[in-house]
Amino acid sequence: MKLSEEASKVVETSMRMNNIDENERNEIIQLIDRMPDSRVTLYKNVVSNPIGDLPRYSIHIRIQHMLTFVTFLTLAFTGLPIAFMDHVWAVPMNNLVGGIDVSRIIHRTLASVMIFGMVYHIVYIAYTTARLILRGKFELQRSIIPILKDVRDFKLDMLYFAGKRDQRPEMDKFMYKQKIHYFAAAFGNLVMIISGSSFIFPEFWAAILPTSMASYFQEMMRLSHPHEALLALLVIAFWHWYNVHLAPGRFPMQWTFLTGKITREHQIEEHFLEYLRNLVELPEERAYLHNLLDARELTVDSIEGLEAVGETQ
Amino acid sequence: MRFFARKIISSILFLMILMQSNLVSSFEDDSGCLLCHKYPKMGRIDENGVKRSYYVMPGVFGSTVHRNVPCTDCHNYIKQLPHKPVKTGVSCNTECHSIKNPATGKNFSHSSVYDKYKGSVHGREKVEQGLDSDKPYCITCHTNPIYNPNETEPPKRIIDRCVVCHEDREFVTNWYKHTSRRIREVKRTPTEIVQLCSNCHSDESLLQRHEKAASEEGRELGRKFPIAVESYNESFHGKVTKYGFTKAANCLDCHAKEDNYYMNVHDIRASRDPESPMHSSNKVETCRKCHTYADENYAELDPHPTSKKAGNPFRYYANIIYSWVGDIVIVLLISMALIETIGRRRDGVSWSMRKGSSWWHRSSKSKDRIV
Repeated sequence: MKLSEEASKVVETSMRMNNIDENERNEIIQLIDRMPDSRVTLYKNVVSNPIGDLPRYSIHIRIQHMLTFVTFLTLAFTGLPIAFMDHVWAVPMNNLVGGIDVSRIIHRTLASVMIFGMVYHIVYIAYTTARLILRGKFELQRSIIPILKDVRDFKLDMLYFAGKRDQRPEMDKFMYKQKIHYFAAAFGNLVMIISGSSFIFPEFWAAILPTSMASYFQEMMRLSHPHEALLALLVIAFWHWYNVHLAPGRFPMQWTFLTGKITREHQIEEHFLEYLRNLVELPEERAYLHNLLDARELTVDSIEGLEAVGETQ
Repeated sequence: MRFFARKIISSILFLMILMQSNLVSSFEDDSGCLLCHKYPKMGRIDENGVKRSYYVMPGVFGSTVHRNVPCTDCHNYIKQLPHKPVKTGVSCNTECHSIKNPATGKNFSHSSVYDKYKGSVHGREKVEQGLDSDKPYCITCHTNPIYNPNETEPPKRIIDRCVVCHEDREFVTNWYKHTSRRIREVKRTPTEIVQLCSNCHSDESLLQRHEKAASEEGRELGRKFPIAVESYNESFHGKVTKYGFTKAANCLDCHAKEDNYYMNVHDIRASRDPESPMHSSNKVETCRKCHTYADENYAELDPHPTSKKAGNPFRYYANIIYSWVGDIVIVLLISMALIETIGRRRDGVSWSMRKGSSWWHRSSKSKDRIV
């Protein structure tokens, strides 16, 4: 495969950061050369373990996801019947958790756990990023921070889905969808914490804000808490759960949130640049790919041969 | 067999007589009012076509707080029997002649609380015409309640103990009923209080009547008068109170002065009245009853939030923007998921993974898996 300029840069950077010696370097370059030109051929022909092949999330990230996920759903379950109490489902739903006297305690306790999860995440991300920077291994485009490339990826991906292109763009560890979702969740979390705190400590917010703003702020918070909660719930139910559970190829679920690993076909399809880094970082993945290319005759030459045979027939 | 049947019938008869005697003797009827008023059908259809019942249920009345007051102490306009048609009925500030206030030695009367009520925004005469007739009179809220609806009989153990010295079981029973009714917390629950105030304050036609009259007379009404109940129900106080939580503010917590609850709930005043706890000069102090650290800024927060354009235009527009942003986000995300699914399906992806791959279908636009 002839790598794009961008992909070659990623491979070069990764080899430099991982102090790859000359032998390994040649091996990697040879392997990449042997790969079929089309990424489509590659991800359609690899064999993946449904519970994941390649490392993606550390145990900390998985715990943080768990904390957010469990607290979010329970917070929504205890909070929505209060915000939308005119609806028929509200009273039975509130009774299910033991009535208002119990649900308000659950709601506030879990809110603290959710805030802890957020702090844990920020501390963890700050620490690991600092460590990467100190070791000279930090790559902006490998992080969740949105860059211009994401806009381009989005455009190209939409063109692919619309049938105007034959390949998906080469995306990084975090594709545009995940970045949108991450920052939406982070923003939502912050809104929920600030607005929630303005319900539990209204005196505090009134005291620190100027008189002209205090009342408008409180009104905004009163609106924001239920609106943001409902929006988040709908996004989770109709988008996130669709993407990780129901979307074709992901059904019945992606195991990543439990095992921290992503399947090989998924990595190549949606996170090709990260797959190239996997090839640099994981000798066993190189070995796998070598065997695959041989066994299924997927090398550049053999595919050209196959296509030639097909044409003559 | 016949012997047993007779026994049963005679015991039933005896029981019925007992019950009857119990009903008749449950309160003192010195003036013989029950001669006529004991008949359930006693009543008439008045000039307006309204059915009126004049039946007094002796058993029920005998369990109420007024059981020891002779009828003519309140119905003091009745001088002869049979009496003439009644024009005005009982007024609650009538002085009792038979009952003395043991603390002052004067004739017992409700005039202290009645005067308080008369000075409040709800004050009215027993018989009123026009707008004032919408205001609540004493019996709108006070229904001459039974001593303790949850306790049909006084507990035997307590009565037994009192009888040891006070000897007269009937005296002790009455005394117990009188005091227990007052010592127990018998005020309405917060949910019931909100319900009680809502009976009038959420009555659309009543509200419109008063708004119209006020605008015609150039009179000022409370800023939240037309939406008081609706907006309270939308507030956090309102929502949790509706769910039965008892520590959040209900109507009376803010609109009645704090020092003597039982007296001051009769003294509700408009928030522009300097004596109202909701007057701008008293607001901070009122909020501090619950919100210890409340300051002037805090008192500016609206306890009756509303998204109505007339009530709060800022919130009205913010709400619209919020709803639109939410709807647009959801539509965009779902469209994105749809187009993605269509695109990937066209390229041959299966719904679930089989033998380590999801790409077993034929692609209509790209390469297929080499089988």
